[in-house]
Amino acid sequence: MGLPTHTARRHLLSGLAALGLALALPAAAEAQVELKVGYMKHPIQDASLDMMDKWAKANNVKLTRVAMAYNIFMEKVTATLTSGNDQFDVIWHNDDWGQLWEKWLEPTDDVAGMDTMSKSPLDAFWSADKKMTVVPMAYTVGTFFYRSDLVKPEEVPKTFDQLVSVSQRLQKEGKVKWGYVGGMSFNNTWFAQWWTMWANNCDIFHPLFERDNVKLKAAGFKPAIADPCHRQVIEFWWDAINTHKISPPGMTAYGRNEANALFMAGDAAFTLVDSTHYGDFMDPNKSKIVGKIGMAPFPVGPNAKVPTAWHEIWGWGIPKGSPPEKKKLAKAMLGAMMLDEEGQIEMWKKTGGPPPNNKILAKIAATDPVFKQLQNAVFDQKPVTHSAYYFAEWPAVHKAYSDVTIKALSGKREDIQKTLEEGAPLLTKAATN
Amino acid sequence: MTIPVADLADPPKPPMFGERQRFMLLLIAPAVVALIFFQIVPILTGANASFRDWSLHDPKYTWVGLKHYWYVLSDPGFVWTVMPNTLVFMAVSVAVSLVFGLGLALILNRQFAGRAVLQTILLLPLMVAPVVAAIMIRWMFNDQFGIVNVVFEALGLPQQPWLAQRWTAFGVILVADIWLWTPWFALLLLAGLQSLPKEPFEAAAIDGASRWRVFRYLTLPMLRSVMVVCIVIRGIDAFRTFDIVWTISAGGPARSTELFSIYAYIEAFQAMNFARGSAAAIIGAIIIVVLAMVVFRLLNRWMEVSK
Repeated sequence: MGLPTHTARRHLLSGLAALGLALALPAAAEAQVELKVGYMKHPIQDASLDMMDKWAKANNVKLTRVAMAYNIFMEKVTATLTSGNDQFDVIWHNDDWGQLWEKWLEPTDDVAGMDTMSKSPLDAFWSADKKMTVVPMAYTVGTFFYRSDLVKPEEVPKTFDQLVSVSQRLQKEGKVKWGYVGGMSFNNTWFAQWWTMWANNCDIFHPLFERDNVKLKAAGFKPAIADPCHRQVIEFWWDAINTHKISPPGMTAYGRNEANALFMAGDAAFTLVDSTHYGDFMDPNKSKIVGKIGMAPFPVGPNAKVPTAWHEIWGWGIPKGSPPEKKKLAKAMLGAMMLDEEGQIEMWKKTGGPPPNNKILAKIAATDPVFKQLQNAVFDQKPVTHSAYYFAEWPAVHKAYSDVTIKALSGKREDIQKTLEEGAPLLTKAATN
Repeated sequence: MTIPVADLADPPKPPMFGERQRFMLLLIAPAVVALIFFQIVPILTGANASFRDWSLHDPKYTWVGLKHYWYVLSDPGFVWTVMPNTLVFMAVSVAVSLVFGLGLALILNRQFAGRAVLQTILLLPLMVAPVVAAIMIRWMFNDQFGIVNVVFEALGLPQQPWLAQRWTAFGVILVADIWLWTPWFALLLLAGLQSLPKEPFEAAAIDGASRWRVFRYLTLPMLRSVMVVCIVIRGIDAFRTFDIVWTISAGGPARSTELFSIYAYIEAFQAMNFARGSAAAIIGAIIIVVLAMVVFRLLNRWMEVSK
């Protein structure tokens, strides 16, 4: 005699439920947690992500890389952060937009290895309640590169004037087409206008070299771009392009990609870019100048006596919108990256990006001849300046600065001062919104 | 005798939509939903933002009235650079693309060997993403590596820093846009040409009319309705061009090649003022609606007169 139909159905359903539960439980226990990282495709970031990947694989975490273009990165991630959604669990963070995101990022003071980092490069990343909001990935240091096969170390230009004369000599000898190439267009301002501005003992706002927002505000965000020290810088570039012809006529429209392409093609003797591009310069698949590159301190302008330098960092941030369990994992992963000695040394060798962990950096400095050059070119130089300002309106100021100086460089030489004077209020307007 | 209650009640109303209408509504429902979520809601959000203190990094959402509209309309850059650039871009791009497109359509409307191959080749730009085309063009006009300067050098002409000066950069952007859109005009005008009745052309041939007279007095008038539609659609599209300008010049040098969409983007996403960017976008939308209506009416009147 069989069971009544409804009893049989109930047994069947119970059996199926038990089977489903039995199948689901181990699957749930083994399910990988996914951490999504928003980043820019760049050798240094890929190297840092490789370290994270190592940790992720060992901890059953799936690491998903979401690449975004540099040109839209800050805008895109800002919109994502303020919407509070959990699109990313980790994002690339940079001192240029340090203060912009302080409200939206998780404190990182408790991440392992944070105590191994120098303090000054972290100035951009403090939140209003004095919490750190970044985990460093690498130093980004503006580095003056020269062609070591064409210029002996003692011939490397130490002043702007020497940069012109050495460049012209090399051009005359037919060794290079151009003396100096560097990005100039927004937002590549560091690689021409800004390094020369700081190397000429000048800055964007008064008081010069001040980065305390309270003091800058008290001074009314008074621009220094029409000051003589700044005019000298713009006149230097105008002459470099139009009079001395040591730089290409189209350089005002160059980003760093165009400038790097010229340098790697062997067409230019000097450039200035982040040291993180050294890996590209030394990649035989991309570069014709492998093994022919030296690094030196910045040439100095007429208004300065000693070279300057900046050492900022690139880092990673953890959005507040990420779920708590993922934030915890992200912190563990970034801590592992900070302490990954083997990975950080590998990153330096592959890319030229100095590791943020000072203990590891010291080990590299003791043995690596290339790092010794970089140390002389950048880390040993005083004074050190910050290569950005740290208030939320900084991106708008940067854009306004770029527009004013490019306009001055695109016009007549005799109009430079007038253009700078007319443009100066735009910087104050951008800073005070 | 009592009358059943049911018989006293009003006869049942016919449903608002018949079965056929309901089916049609069902078919368009996905498109309507997509339109609401991806067009209407963002427009309303942007319009709402344009009246508020809404920075991208720290939105306060407080009501500020027309402050952002006033800022945009009193910005000399918007009034004296952005709007003239946009209108010149729109006029030149549409006019030149129309002329080239018409020329191509007339060629393709004839029978000759290899016509199909030529037609495919001419339509290639339509298949290229504008950003990809713009990257190609940017490198073609690079002052050091670009093929254009190589040709200039071979011809003994001075090499140009194309993207470093306002009008040459603007010219490069126009070249890219015209190259991209000429096939679109050609395609639509060719369809228009092939749909024209044959009799007037046969009559003109019997009368011994010259090619030019046939084109001037038959082809062009009969093709006008297609041309008007092309001009209005493409004009609106040209007004809001973003991708190729952003890729080729990003509005530079020094904001001198900015169009209205680039201006709105820079205000919203580089200056981080979402409200101001939205206000600029709304102002642009109003301008293009008015402009499209004026152009449409003018062209319509022109067509009526020419009839």
